[in-house]
Amino acid sequence: MTPRKQLSREQVAAFQAEIDAVRNEVKADLGERDVAHIRRVIRIARGSAVAGRSLLMFGFGPASWLLGVTALANAKILENMEIGHNVMHGQYDWTNDPALASQTYEWDNVCDAEQWRHSHNFMHHSYTNIVGKDRDVGYGILRMSDKQPWNPYHLFQPVSNLLLALLFEWGVGLHDVEFERVFAGKVSREQFAERMRPFLRKARKQMVKDYLLFPALALWNWPRVLAGNVAANLIRNVWAYAIIFCGHFPEGAETFTEEETRDETRGDWYLRQITGSANLEGGPLFHIMSGHLSHQIEHHLFPDLPAHRYAEVAPRVRAICEKYGVRYNTGGFWKQYFSVMRSVFRHALPSRAPQPALA
Amino acid sequence: MTQAALYPLGRAARRALAASWLHPLNDTPAVDELLGAINPMWSLNDIRARVVEVILETHDTRTFVLAPNRRWPGFQAGQHVALEVEIDGVRHHRTYSLSAAPGGRRLALTVKHQPGGRVSSWLHQRVRIGDVLKLSAPAGDFVLPEPLPSRLLMLGAGSGVTPLMSMLRTLRARNYGGEIVFLHSCRQPADAIFGSELKALAAAWPALRLVMHYSQEQGRLDRTALQRLLPADLSGCHGLLCGPHGFMDLVNAWWHERGAPGALQQESFSGPVLHAVAPAGASSEVRCVRSERVFTAAGQPLLVEAESAGLRPKHGCRIGICHSCQCRKLSGTVENLLTGAVSSAPDETIQLCISAARSDLTLDL
Repeated sequence: MTPRKQLSREQVAAFQAEIDAVRNEVKADLGERDVAHIRRVIRIARGSAVAGRSLLMFGFGPASWLLGVTALANAKILENMEIGHNVMHGQYDWTNDPALASQTYEWDNVCDAEQWRHSHNFMHHSYTNIVGKDRDVGYGILRMSDKQPWNPYHLFQPVSNLLLALLFEWGVGLHDVEFERVFAGKVSREQFAERMRPFLRKARKQMVKDYLLFPALALWNWPRVLAGNVAANLIRNVWAYAIIFCGHFPEGAETFTEEETRDETRGDWYLRQITGSANLEGGPLFHIMSGHLSHQIEHHLFPDLPAHRYAEVAPRVRAICEKYGVRYNTGGFWKQYFSVMRSVFRHALPSRAPQPALA
Repeated sequence: MTQAALYPLGRAARRALAASWLHPLNDTPAVDELLGAINPMWSLNDIRARVVEVILETHDTRTFVLAPNRRWPGFQAGQHVALEVEIDGVRHHRTYSLSAAPGGRRLALTVKHQPGGRVSSWLHQRVRIGDVLKLSAPAGDFVLPEPLPSRLLMLGAGSGVTPLMSMLRTLRARNYGGEIVFLHSCRQPADAIFGSELKALAAAWPALRLVMHYSQEQGRLDRTALQRLLPADLSGCHGLLCGPHGFMDLVNAWWHERGAPGALQQESFSGPVLHAVAPAGASSEVRCVRSERVFTAAGQPLLVEAESAGLRPKHGCRIGICHSCQCRKLSGTVENLLTGAVSSAPDETIQLCISAARSDLTLDL
C-alpha cells in the first residue's frame, strides 16, 4: 500500500511542512561554499580531460593508454553527472553565473541538452515512476514493473539491458524522440523528423570530436586515441547506467498508476518521490562520482538544490520518513545493483499476480 | 566570443576558431579561467580593471579610480558601465556612470552608498586598492552633442552629477569657450559630490557659472526656485539633465513652462528603484522587453497571467520543479508562491510558474 493511503490528509500536510522546512533552510544558506564546490569540480574535470587526452595522444605503451582512458572517463563522468546533470537542473541558477546557467548549459554527451531538459527535468522529475507517463520506467525498452503490460519481446530483456548499459548515452540521446510512440504510429513523420534533428546535430558534434578531430590531431597515433575515446565513452556509459538504474529500479521502489496520482498535493508528490527512489551508500568520492545521484531520494525531493548538500540533509529526511513510517530505501551499491538485475530478469516473464487494468 | 583578442587574426581565422566542431579546443571560458588564475587582469573577453585609488568624495560617496586591461574600448563623457561583483557566490550587476574625462588611461566610478544596498555596501566596505573588478563595455547616448552648442545648461541632483562631471571635465580639457550654467542640487553641503572641485573649477574658469542648491537650507527645489536660480534668458540653451525621478519630472515641467528653449537631453538616474510592494493579489503591470508586450497581473502565477494575456512562455511542470519557465526579472518585486519569500533584487532569475507579481515588473520575456 502506498503511504498516500496509509497517512491521513493532516499527516501528509505535516509531512510536507517538515520536508519544506529542510528545503527552505538549505535555500537560505546557499552561498560561497556551493559555488566553490562546483567550480572546483569543473576545474578537476577540465584538468582530467586535458591530462587524459594528452596521455592518449602523446603517450606510448599500454600503461599510459590505460591511465589516459581512466582520466578521460573520469572527466566525462564528472562533467556529465556532477556538473552537467546538476547544473541543468537549475541547482546553480541563483548564482547568476552564465557558466552555471541551467537553460544554456550543453554537456559532453550525445544527448542534446534541450531535449534532456524536457525528458528529464520535466517529464521524469514531474511524473516520477508513473507508469505510462514517466518514460524513464524501463526507458521504453525494459519492463521494470508489474504495472507495465508484458510483451513477448520482454523475454530478451537481459540482453537488451546489457546493450542499454553499453550504449547508455545513445539511449539517453534518443529518449526524447519517443521511439515506442513512433512505432505505435502516434507520432507523425514531420514530428519524428523534428525530434531527430537536435539529436542528429548533437550526435554529429560528439562523433566529430571524439572519433575524428582528436584522433586526427594525433596523426599516426590515431588508432590509439580513437580506441581510448571509445573506451572512455564506454566506461562513462556503464557507470552512468549503473548509478541511474540503482536510483529507481531496486526492488521495493514503487511505481504508480495515473489514477493513484490524481489530485496530488505537494506532500503527496514528496511521498511519491521518496517511495519511487532508492539511495546508494558510500563515501564522499563515491557520491561525487555519481553526481550525488547516490542520494536519489534527496535529489528527487529537491532537484534544484546543489547536489553536494544532499548528504548533509539525508539524515534529517530519513528521520522525517521514520517518524511518518515512510519507507526509505537505501543500501550498498552491489546490494541495490543485484536487486535491479533480479528485477530485470523477473519482469522478463509475465507477472503472476493479476495485473491492474491499464488503458 | 574572442573577437577582441583575436582581432589581428582576421575574420576568417576568428570564425574558424569560434567553430563549434573545434570544441573543446576553443573553450574560451576555460582558457579565460586559466589566464585569470595566472593574473586576474588577463582575459580573452572580459574587461577587467584594477583599483588604483579610492577617493572619499563625501561621507557616503567614494570614487574608485581604475586601470582597465586592454579589452577596454574607451568611452564618451556621460556614458555608464555595468559593474559585475560576486557577493557570497551570487553575481550582481549595477550600472554606474563614469565620472572622469575620457582619454586618459584611468577610469573613475563614483558610487554613493545606498543604505541596505548590497552592491554599493560591498564596494564601500570590501573593495581595496589592488582589487580587480569586472566591467561591461561602456554604453549610453547621454553624451555631449557635436558640434558643441554655444550655451549649456547642466542640471544634476544627488549622484546624478557623476556623468555631468565627466562632461564638464571634458569641456574644460577642450577649452570650451561658450557659456555653462551648472546646477547641483543636494540636501546639504556635506552631501555635495564634487562640491569643492566644482567650486575651484568655477573660480578658475569664467565660462562656468555654478549654482549650488541645498534643500535643507534653501527649501525644497521647485519651479519658483528654478526660476530664481537659473538665467531668465535661456535662448539657444542645450540642456543636460540627470538625477532622481522626482527631480527630472520637476525640471521637465519647468522646461516646458519656459517654452522648451532648446533640446533637453536627459538620463534617468535609477538609484535603488523602490517599487512599492503591492499587497498580494493587487494588480500590477508587467512589461515584457523581448516580446514588447505589456499585461496586467493580479495574484496568479506569472506563467498563468502571461498565458491569459496571449503570450506563450516556454514551460514544463508548472509546479516549480523543472525550471523550463525560468526567466530574467529585470526589475520589480515578486513573491515566491511556494515559500512566500518576497524579492525585489534587480536582474534576478525567477520561475514564472511559482512567482506572482507584487509590484510593476519588467521581464526579459
